[in-house]
Amino acid sequence: MVTADVSLSRVLPGMSPPEKPDKLGCRSPDKETFFCWWTPGSDGGLPTVHHLYYKTEGQENMRQCPDYHKAGSNSCFFSKTSIWVEYTVIVEASNALGNTSSDPLTFDLMNIVKPFAPENVTVVVNIEDSPHLTIQWHTPSNIDTKSGWVTLKNQLRVKPDKSKIWKNYASETQTHFTIYSIDLGVVYMVEVRCAIDNSWSEWSNTTFVKVPNFSRKDNSFWILVFSLCLIPLLAAMIILILKRKTVKKYILPPVPSPKIRGVDVQLLKSGQSEDVINAMLLNQRFPVMIPWKDQKEDYLIVSDKETSYLPLEKKKIFILPLAMALDSEVQSKETSEVDHFPKDSESSSEESSDKTESSQLLTKCSSANVLNDEKANQLKGVTEKIFQPFGICGYVDIPRHEHMQEADYSRVNEVNGDNILIMKKENIPHTLDTQGQEGSVPDNYSMVKEVNSDNVVFLEKHSESVNASFKAKGYIDWVNQKPKNLHMTGHSEMGVCPQLVGCEYVDTVPPPAVI
Amino acid sequence: MAQRRTSGTNLFMTAPPISRRKRKRGKKPKGHQTVALQLLSLTLPPLIFSCFTVLCVVAMCRAVPINELLERASQHSDKLHSLSTTLTQELDSHFPPIGRVIMPRPAMCHTSSLQTPIDKDQALQVSESDLMSLARSLLQAWSDPLVLLSSSASALPHPAQSTIFNKIQEMQQYSKSLKDGLDVLSSKMGSSAQAITSLPYRGGTSLGQDKITKLINFNFLLSCLRRDSHKIDSFLKVLRCRAAKMQPEMC
Repeated sequence: MVTADVSLSRVLPGMSPPEKPDKLGCRSPDKETFFCWWTPGSDGGLPTVHHLYYKTEGQENMRQCPDYHKAGSNSCFFSKTSIWVEYTVIVEASNALGNTSSDPLTFDLMNIVKPFAPENVTVVVNIEDSPHLTIQWHTPSNIDTKSGWVTLKNQLRVKPDKSKIWKNYASETQTHFTIYSIDLGVVYMVEVRCAIDNSWSEWSNTTFVKVPNFSRKDNSFWILVFSLCLIPLLAAMIILILKRKTVKKYILPPVPSPKIRGVDVQLLKSGQSEDVINAMLLNQRFPVMIPWKDQKEDYLIVSDKETSYLPLEKKKIFILPLAMALDSEVQSKETSEVDHFPKDSESSSEESSDKTESSQLLTKCSSANVLNDEKANQLKGVTEKIFQPFGICGYVDIPRHEHMQEADYSRVNEVNGDNILIMKKENIPHTLDTQGQEGSVPDNYSMVKEVNSDNVVFLEKHSESVNASFKAKGYIDWVNQKPKNLHMTGHSEMGVCPQLVGCEYVDTVPPPAVI
Repeated sequence: MAQRRTSGTNLFMTAPPISRRKRKRGKKPKGHQTVALQLLSLTLPPLIFSCFTVLCVVAMCRAVPINELLERASQHSDKLHSLSTTLTQELDSHFPPIGRVIMPRPAMCHTSSLQTPIDKDQALQVSESDLMSLARSLLQAWSDPLVLLSSSASALPHPAQSTIFNKIQEMQQYSKSLKDGLDVLSSKMGSSAQAITSLPYRGGTSLGQDKITKLINFNFLLSCLRRDSHKIDSFLKVLRCRAAKMQPEMC
């Protein structure tokens, strides 16, 4: 404001010329216009006017400020400027007593360029998808960016309310920005500034914004989704538990295990002994049994006692094991394992004969070598239950019935050829039955001396040589004096060596069929 | 293939099959003709490909739009100006007050003889070629003084000497790359754009003998550099805006 004419005012003592104006400053907010300001000093008690004079680089005269009003009091606004020229500005304060000039200020327009802060800064909080802040602002007005004379750069900074550190973000020429790294439930402060030619404005006014804690709508949505997903899960689990056996079968199929033909595992498990025996024995075919070479010889004495002689039609085989070592053993075996016939007991023989029908017999001899001498004394008084011991025992395989159908004994008259036995009509030379059994030995029995091959039977002619062979009455000894290894399978003969000559056991069991 | 059974009871033991080998050596080498043909077939595709790529590169080089080049150039000039601004500010932090009094006026800059527009209206009326020429002339005028500044900065008696020195080095790099870019640009803009006014620096090879003189001269040179870098930056930004008529956001 231009003051009133100084000369008209009255000068009083104590008044002084004005102080020089101070703190000159100029600023160009748009690189086209600029304004300068000053701070007036004391006026010295008199009305003081200030004038601003300026001069550019090439000029000699100072010119006065064109506009003292537009930029406010104590300022001067320059609308027409030059760039890349040096300005010199002086402010003069004058009152009735004198003029006082300030210090000159020299500057170039490019040095005083400083835009105003951006306007209309708006911050929008959005937490729909992911929480973010959308910040928008306007460039300061009256800046010509279209011609390219002015290029603005933008910068913004954000900080949580309680933090002390600002986070700066650069936004080149755009007037909007989005920040994603924000936390929920925090109050944020946002400030923006801009720059012309690397000269930054002040920061804009702080905008406060609060980010809400959570979105209720989102939460309920997710709760709904979660519960919906749970239902099929629970259903699947229940089904799995209910049908766990099926599932187990499906996942872990049973491992195939080897099966024995004809044997039902379940039947075995349920376990009636008869069924077991049927399953195991009848339906099976046993492998070839190797005779015990190292075992002692055993005898098989097949006796056909007169008293116990059964009619031919019965076609039974009576087989007695000899050389039973102990009475007790004999007794026990008699009932359990062995079918044997007491010499003088019909009933028992019958009884035992019944047993022979049913199955094959496996007789077991205990080693009776030791008892040979002992029992020898008992030969004479052999009772039913005392069997003549033989030094050698072994397994006796009893042939099947069909093979031994020749239960009907007949007298052999002659032996012709390999397998011709001519039946005898007259008495057979007596058997040397020195055992002293009760009863009479039928005369029509002959001792077999040797079994040569499959069908050859050498009959003993002499009886003395068989003294040592302890034959009970009614027994027929099958003698084999040939110490050869008779691993004959499928033969119906048995060889037992009575004289402790190396004898062999002959298997009379027909060979099992190979499965 | 029949499998071999290792079971002893198996009667059908088969021996492993005898591997059959097909002879692949049925063909005889044919001779030199084949070799030549093979070589040709091997080398021809890469040759064709390389020719193709060269043509493409050349074509694509031509196809780089000017506004993109201007964008890169203006970014360089902006960086240059910002460096010079910070340099002057740093130097002013420890500048003897008397230096401001006796410092030469900017009219004493060696580039002041170049006629440049003095306000916005004038600048907007200058043609693009002239603007480019002005920018290039100014840039060229500072290649030698930058060397002097760099050598002086290495022994500058100033507390921020190392920072100043590093910034001078950076300015040299930017100035060099900007010069190359403007050479390419001006070649696209016509012959008048390529005219450069020579503005030789006549300040000698040393900034002064004593510390004050050195500092004052250094400061003076930096102020001249700041003005000229601002000019270059402004001209290029005006050019950029004019070239990007289809993209107003470039301005």
